[in-house]
Amino acid sequence: MMIESDPDHPLDPVIDLSGLTLRRGPRTVLADLSLQVGPGEIYALLGGNGAGKSTTLAVLLGFLAPDSGVARVAGVDPAVAPDQARRQIAYLPESVALYDQLTAHENIAYFMALAGSEPGPDIIDAALDAAGLQSEARTRRVGGYSKGMRQKVAIAMAVLREVPVLLLDEPTSGLDPRATADFNALLGRLKARGTAILMVTHDLLGAADCADRIGFLAGGRIVEEVRPAEGIDVMALHHRYGEVAAA
Amino acid sequence: MSLWSHELRLFLRQPLAAPLLALLLLLASASVWAGLAEITRQHAAIDRILPQQAADEAAVAAWATREGDAGNVAYYTHYATWDRPSPLAFAALGQRDVAPFVLRIRALALEGQINESEAYNAELALPGRFDWAFVLTYLAPLFIIVLLHDLVSSEREGGRLLLLTVMARSETALWVRRVVLRVGLVILTLVLPLAVGGLLSGAGQPILGMAGLAAAYAVFWALVCVAVGRFRLASVTSAATLAAVWLIMTLVLPGLALLAINAAVPVRQGVELTLAQREAVHAGWDKPKEATLAAFFREEPAWRDTAPMRSGFHWKWYYAFQHLGDLSVAEQVRAYRAGLERRNALSGRIGLLLPPVGLQMVLHRLAETDLVAQLTYQDRIRRYHRELRHFFYPFLFREQPFGPADFARAPRWRDSADTPRPPRPGA
Amino acid sequence: MSPIRLMAANDWRLMARSRVAQLALLMLLALAAVAALTAIAHRDHSNDLRARFQAQADQDFDGQPARHPHRMVHYGHFVFRPLPALAGFDPGVDAFTGSTIFLEGHRQNSANFGDVRQSSLLARFGQLSPAFVLQVLAPLVLIFIGFGLIAAERERGTLRLLRVHGRSAGEVLRGKLLALAGIAAVLLLPACLALAWLTVSAQAEPVAAVLLTIGYAGYLGLWVTGVVTVSALTRSARGALMALLGLWAVTTILVPRIGSDVALRMAPLPTRLETDIAIQRDLHRIGDSHNPDDPHFAAFKAGLLARYKVSRVEDLPLNYRGLVAMEGERLTAGLFDRYAEAQFARQRRQAEVVNGLALLSPAVAVRSLSMALAGTDLEGHRRFLRQAEAYRYTIVQGLNRLQAEAVTYVDDGNRNSDPEAARRVRIDPRHWHDVPDFTYRSAGLGERIRAAAPGAAVLAVWLVLAAGALGLAARRLGRDL
Repeated sequence: MMIESDPDHPLDPVIDLSGLTLRRGPRTVLADLSLQVGPGEIYALLGGNGAGKSTTLAVLLGFLAPDSGVARVAGVDPAVAPDQARRQIAYLPESVALYDQLTAHENIAYFMALAGSEPGPDIIDAALDAAGLQSEARTRRVGGYSKGMRQKVAIAMAVLREVPVLLLDEPTSGLDPRATADFNALLGRLKARGTAILMVTHDLLGAADCADRIGFLAGGRIVEEVRPAEGIDVMALHHRYGEVAAA
Repeated sequence: MSLWSHELRLFLRQPLAAPLLALLLLLASASVWAGLAEITRQHAAIDRILPQQAADEAAVAAWATREGDAGNVAYYTHYATWDRPSPLAFAALGQRDVAPFVLRIRALALEGQINESEAYNAELALPGRFDWAFVLTYLAPLFIIVLLHDLVSSEREGGRLLLLTVMARSETALWVRRVVLRVGLVILTLVLPLAVGGLLSGAGQPILGMAGLAAAYAVFWALVCVAVGRFRLASVTSAATLAAVWLIMTLVLPGLALLAINAAVPVRQGVELTLAQREAVHAGWDKPKEATLAAFFREEPAWRDTAPMRSGFHWKWYYAFQHLGDLSVAEQVRAYRAGLERRNALSGRIGLLLPPVGLQMVLHRLAETDLVAQLTYQDRIRRYHRELRHFFYPFLFREQPFGPADFARAPRWRDSADTPRPPRPGA
Repeated sequence: MSPIRLMAANDWRLMARSRVAQLALLMLLALAAVAALTAIAHRDHSNDLRARFQAQADQDFDGQPARHPHRMVHYGHFVFRPLPALAGFDPGVDAFTGSTIFLEGHRQNSANFGDVRQSSLLARFGQLSPAFVLQVLAPLVLIFIGFGLIAAERERGTLRLLRVHGRSAGEVLRGKLLALAGIAAVLLLPACLALAWLTVSAQAEPVAAVLLTIGYAGYLGLWVTGVVTVSALTRSARGALMALLGLWAVTTILVPRIGSDVALRMAPLPTRLETDIAIQRDLHRIGDSHNPDDPHFAAFKAGLLARYKVSRVEDLPLNYRGLVAMEGERLTAGLFDRYAEAQFARQRRQAEVVNGLALLSPAVAVRSLSMALAGTDLEGHRRFLRQAEAYRYTIVQGLNRLQAEAVTYVDDGNRNSDPEAARRVRIDPRHWHDVPDFTYRSAGLGERIRAAAPGAAVLAVWLVLAAGALGLAARRLGRDL
């Protein structure tokens, strides 16, 4: 699935949120949130604690249904058909937890089997190569892995999924600069493959390095959107971002 | 590699899983072995008794037939009855440790003989026996609880739940697969030793019924675990909750039910009828003989034309009032028995609500080691006693001489037709 | 307040706010109350019933008309085993042993109508009594409330906080011990009330009641120590819970049952039927009164004739038939005693096997201690069997003596042919009144305390071991923090 990406003229959006509103008791968590991510596009959603980042992911994954508005993942409404929607999504949680008693290989084989595909050992190796996990670690049980190593296993899984959507939850938190660079390179390859990537993060610098667009989330809606490619004043954004997050 | 084998590997790599299954297999096997050893012992006791009984009868025959008087023979000869364990008894020994499985009776009044007890050690009977039914009823749920209490909560606490639900093509299928795998392994572990035991004891098809019960019971406990899991408790809270459910279901509620049933259905008729029967039998000595015999002939008209009684003692009159003694308490015997059956029926009804009780009731019914089996044995003894009486009556009422050859013709106790003698392991 | 008391008080406050602890404690107290009320009521009712039956049997015996004494030997007598007062606390093996025996000449019948044979399998699930609640259920409540006392604090990190505030590992452990011991005391309370009630209402010995309380306090203390130790040694609260539940299941559920099986295999008992046959066989060998040529009875007869210097039994001053009956009864009763004692010895050997296993399970130890002190152990039943047999022998020989003294040999021989002789052999029924009634003498306090000693010793050993383990846990905890 190789699609020529043109961030300025997105094809049919793969991730399509329109007018999402979600209330939790008296609190409005999402307030008329609209957001489109096209194939081969990386969108970073920035926001402080409680801005609605995790809620947005939960809606996309079908764990929460919005009170109004519609979400679509590759054309599927996760509120209506969560299983079907999830089949279109690769997901990288903030802190990757795996089965400690299995090796990296076995973990990937198991989770991929759950998702309905059975990649051979060579394919898994290739994915782990791409994710940058040292080959001598791959036959060890993941119980002894560092956070970064675990994340690489999860990234390898995301690569293997070959689905149109990748959701990332604080992907670079806890990674050292070198691992972050590897990770960004990997994202670039997925982007080239045409994957629509949505990451939520509070790391503006990290987002500016890899995202096509950055949306600032506050009070459940996007208050500003910028394109790093057009040249941005990171310091000014950082200053504003602080204000936005506080608002 | 299929998902099932993935799940199996994942499960068996859990630190507790394989040791627990091995332990359960060990316990189930040990219980089957103990049960087989026990029924072998019971068969051996019966086999041991037969020659001793023959020698005892021969000793009586040697002098009692000398005068040719059937009355002496009937008075002094004890006839052996026994109740062999069914081929399935090894799995659920039930009441066979407290109820006699061998009993000698004479052709005298039966009610004073039929409730005799076996000489067992009550302190050993108190905690119950270590048989397969015990492992299944009490221990298997604990194993299932250990294996299933954190089915979802361990994933939640391990931080994998989100990834799992996102990855799984069907979340329900994932949990069902895991539950089925764990419960299936537990069932296998329980049923395998049972099947081996069944082959050794020649139990045949009914063993499938027991295996099915084991599966149903295991599934019940798995469902309890899943139901508690729906409350999204922490693993430790859910383990404590499930252990409490287990305690209440297997120890507390059955205890309360027993108190309620025994209070609702008193069975003091057993003692009462024994006291009354003795009075009736012994009053026979002081009643006019003609009246006694007339009453007897109403029950047994075939002997009506016997020679009239002279004064003094005659065995036929003696046996007549013995039998009348039994008849005088027939109503109480029926009431006593009805009380016992009512207790059993009420327990069965409790079993509909409390699976551990229901399981025990059905297992022991299949194994024929319950109260009903005890009553069935008593019924057979009653029929045999009747046969014995009728064997002696012609000699007594027609005053036929009773010789050594007649002694050999006395009706013998037979193994019941519906429990064919199984090939015994280790015999 | 001392820091230890302070920590315990804090734990109590936490328990009072924990729904699990509240529920477990309330449920157990409710159960203990139900168990105490029903066990006491059941004991009172059974005892009354048995006393009523005994009175009826005595009255029936005394009310028999004029009869030949040997007919009374066969009419026989019923005796009922009264229930000791403390059976309202621990019914022990009562349900498993028959409560009544029919006593007659030449035969030794079994004790019949035990509750278990008259119940469905439900009876095998265990009888709810204060003793059962303390032996089986109370430890579980201690586990539920106490497994996290240290393990959960370790997980939360509050344990470190205590250490930062200057409390040593030993002090922390002692605080936890005190907290859980407080719960154990609450659990013991309903049982104490039941015991107090039994001493007041049914004249149970206060000493036995106090010793029972001490025994169970030791048993619960053992669990308190065990729970705290395991909670201190395991890494996670869940690990502690699993380990403790496993320990509980093995010691209170599994070991007692396996103990029974092992004991039965190591010291099997013969069936009653075999014993009956063996007694008949021995009797035949020693002396057979039915055999006119029997050497024993020939010698017995010769001895009598020589003693009274007569040549024919008709000339004896006493009824020879009565004397033969007495001699026959003497022989059979001797055999009954011998076989019964052999049986009892085998039962005791089985009990020794089980007591050996008590080293693996304090529950077995406390059970035997409890039954012994309550007087509801098998020894109590054996006392009853022995006394019943002695009573049987007394009344049968008394009646045989009456036959020898009050009935002439000639009349006895002609009673079936001569109506006048038949009338004369029926002796005055006032003799039946003269036969003493059966009174069961229960074991004295000293005897019961001696019987309880092995169980108490095993519990003491366990307590020492548990204290050692706790010391170990304190050192480990001190190192880890």
